[in-house]
Amino acid sequence: MQHIQEKIKEFILRTSYVSGDQVNNDTLIFAEGIMDSMGFISIIGFIEDEFSVEVADNELVESNFESVDAITNFISRKLKVGTVG
Amino acid sequence: MDSKHIKPFSKDILQFENIEDIANQISGKIKDDIYSVLKRKGAIIGISGGIDSSVTLGLTVKAIGPENVIGILLPEKDSSPDSKKKALELAQKFKVQTIEEDITGALEGFGCYKRRDEAVAAVFPEYNPTDYKMKIGINQSGLNQFLPPVFSITIISNEGIEKSKKLPIKEYLQIVAASNFKQRSRMSMLYYHAERLHYAMIGTPNKHEVQQGFFVKNGDGGADIMPIAHLYKSQVYQLAEYLGIPEDIIKRTPTSDTYTAEQTQEEFFFQMPYHEMDLIWYGLENEIDPEEVGKVLNKTSDEIMHIYNNLSRKKKTTEYLRMAPITYK
Repeated sequence: MQHIQEKIKEFILRTSYVSGDQVNNDTLIFAEGIMDSMGFISIIGFIEDEFSVEVADNELVESNFESVDAITNFISRKLKVGTVG
Repeated sequence: MDSKHIKPFSKDILQFENIEDIANQISGKIKDDIYSVLKRKGAIIGISGGIDSSVTLGLTVKAIGPENVIGILLPEKDSSPDSKKKALELAQKFKVQTIEEDITGALEGFGCYKRRDEAVAAVFPEYNPTDYKMKIGINQSGLNQFLPPVFSITIISNEGIEKSKKLPIKEYLQIVAASNFKQRSRMSMLYYHAERLHYAMIGTPNKHEVQQGFFVKNGDGGADIMPIAHLYKSQVYQLAEYLGIPEDIIKRTPTSDTYTAEQTQEEFFFQMPYHEMDLIWYGLENEIDPEEVGKVLNKTSDEIMHIYNNLSRKKKTTEYLRMAPITYK
């Protein structure tokens, strides 16, 4: 879980050009303007490539993507479902 | 949120009280800008048979007379034949000379279609432009959230079978960049005619297109005057009625006319009907309490707040399109 969290945070910092102290795990990355539309599409692509999970249209909701924590939890849930299935 | 508007908010708040005065004011400015500020002899306008270019042409004819205005039709192989028909009807109504310039050859030279189709085929390997039409669209669910939109691509076979997928960033950017050759080629051709005649080039975007970034930088965003860039879409329609724009142009659903499959502007970019978007944008600009706007539009305060946030985000993230080149001292 921590590994996923670090990768997500590192990706956001690398692609948003903001400094590390501006993004905490609970920072609302879209509401606070850290990431924009291109950033959102990039995150989806990164998750799909890096963790081999597919993001369905009905999963594109705030509760899955609003922060580093939300994205981490979303990926963890998807990976668990994948393992069980 | 403090309210600073004077008139009480209502569904009619954007209704012009004296449409004749408004048309006279705008056409007066157009005339002054063409002759006195720009020192040009006439006006060139790209006409598509859509409401915005039609109203722009009507206002310009009112300003300087039909003999000093030329309407340019700029079709390419993906354009709807209906666009040409309606543009010619408009020109006939306003007694304006037209020139038709098919830009398909220029676009083939730039590799517009080939580059776009390569990106589409990267998402749908079965895609080829002979057997399929294509379009890109925005997900509608994002409107009520603090999330930016996600674009999807749809291909439609000749048999009418549709398939859609989320667009990955690389392919999204390539499709948009390739398609933008269309607007930039049109701008080049319009300026060719403007310069050879020493005319001004009149741009046609409305307020939403400018403020939300629904235009191509150095494409349809390039012009000498943009006479309706301060007007809400419903105000453009009011002027259309006043100027006598042909009824079938007024009734036509605004489309992007950019991709091979038919697509409305609402589906491609705006995500809501223009009469709602006008009122919500007005509410946002005038800091009207979302609850007040919601009552008029039959939406909750939260829904309006989300749309306010979405529109603010669109404006902020498209600021680069409206910026002049950055220069240094």
